[in-house]
Amino acid sequence: MFAKEWRSELRTRYALNTLALFAVNTLVVVSASLGPLGAAPGRSSETLPVLLWLILLFAAAAGLPRAFVHEEETQTATALRLAATPSALFCGKLAYALTLLAALEALVAPLFLAVMNLDVARPGLLAATLAAGGFGLAAGSTLVAAIIAQARGKGTLFAVLSFPVLLPLLLLAVELTRGAFAGGGSQGQGGQGGAGVVLMQLLLYDGAVTTAGLMLFPVVWNP
Amino acid sequence: MKKRTAFAAFRWLLWLWLAAVIVGAFAYAPLAAKFIGQSSRILFFHVPMAWAAFIAFIAAGVSSLRYLFGNRPRRDPRHDRAARAAIELGLLFGLLATVTGAVWSRIMWGAWWNWDPRQTSIVMALIFNGAYLALRDAVEDAEKRARLAAAYAALGLVVTPFFFFVVPRITFSLHPEPVINASGQVDMNPRMLQVLLASGAGFTALFFWLHDLRTRVLAVADQALEAAAAGAPRAGIVGAWGSAPPHITEPGTAADPATASQRTSN
Amino acid sequence: MQVSGSIEWVMVVNLIIWTGLFLYLRRLDLQVRALESSQEAPAVEREP
Repeated sequence: MFAKEWRSELRTRYALNTLALFAVNTLVVVSASLGPLGAAPGRSSETLPVLLWLILLFAAAAGLPRAFVHEEETQTATALRLAATPSALFCGKLAYALTLLAALEALVAPLFLAVMNLDVARPGLLAATLAAGGFGLAAGSTLVAAIIAQARGKGTLFAVLSFPVLLPLLLLAVELTRGAFAGGGSQGQGGQGGAGVVLMQLLLYDGAVTTAGLMLFPVVWNP
Repeated sequence: MKKRTAFAAFRWLLWLWLAAVIVGAFAYAPLAAKFIGQSSRILFFHVPMAWAAFIAFIAAGVSSLRYLFGNRPRRDPRHDRAARAAIELGLLFGLLATVTGAVWSRIMWGAWWNWDPRQTSIVMALIFNGAYLALRDAVEDAEKRARLAAAYAALGLVVTPFFFFVVPRITFSLHPEPVINASGQVDMNPRMLQVLLASGAGFTALFFWLHDLRTRVLAVADQALEAAAAGAPRAGIVGAWGSAPPHITEPGTAADPATASQRTSN
Repeated sequence: MQVSGSIEWVMVVNLIIWTGLFLYLRRLDLQVRALESSQEAPAVEREP
């Protein structure tokens, strides 16, 4: 399934291009509007993580839903229903979303750090956060995309439905990213222990959403 | 008619209970130490409302799961109605909790809103409830609507613990210590605790009564639509979702169950 | 019940409002009950 997704994607390169362009555009807007010297150094560790994750979130919202909507529109959905079990289909879509998001993060994160002139105090934590947060974004988005594919108002409805679900993920990821940039650990918690706890919560979230996706997808896909 | 008298008794008992809670909140319970003036009394309403919103969330999730995975192959629409009623009530109680919380915040700290983590998490829950209702509005086919909405509510059930328990604890909060404080002990004046728990029980009972009412209203509406559809000359087989024979379905007319149910009881 | 004067009024107003709410909900309950029994009789009962 995964291979099939990438084959059809590479034929058009639509999602990759959209994501990349969207992300770079947003990054340019953000960085340009912050001015030549970027955000004030004292506040940068508070606001910049938010901006990073917002860019990732909006890019994902722009690029990921197409995975299912495209199927419904071109009516390959029926063929898929016959050909694959729901679990296989979900895993395929999820893997596709994951790789797409990984590529997105690989593009955006270095650019972001460069453009904002950030020194990362704890790069390991940043990498872990991007991985765990990206995973959660992909998993949540895949299930919601499946839901909205069969409804009207696809683009905006996806945003409306996915944001409440993804908000805890975002808050946790931003908190961790702050710790990664600043190096002092989360506010009020401090040190390795604090970040570790929050990271575990993030991973817990990932696990919960993925499990929910696996269990609910068959119901969404088949009447 | 035993059930009827039981319900009638329940209603009066609930009213007496809540009246007692109100009197208790203003007269019996003492004021909390660190609060300005009489403002700590709002605790007895604000906390139970937030609690009821949480219960509503759980109820919606559970009903949705029962709808999706119970009673195959013909799913029971009662659970779908129950889920929707719970979401609507969750919106109501959540809104009330937010407003009372904002009033309290204004009195205590001078600001209506400060993105305190608990405020944030209740807002997230409200947005989720709104999104659920938006989803229902976006699907025309009745069976599909119920199925997709139920899946979304079930997803919400998974995410809810994060709203209510994880997020408020990751950063410093202006909220007073929860009832069970950091060392795991209950640290509140006994009278206050009594009134608070009594109020919580009362509001939970109120939620269930409202939920029952709302579900029954939805059921009556659905049944009226089915009756209208079945009143067509070529009656045929009418399923639980009231889908009418093809020649009846003119968009926008009262006899069109798909859009009709969308207008009224979606 | 010797608390400051204004707080007593808040309590009384609360009691009035909540009693009003109750009576309204009770009325709704009875109305829905009436609708339910009127539906049961003439219309055909569907299997859920």
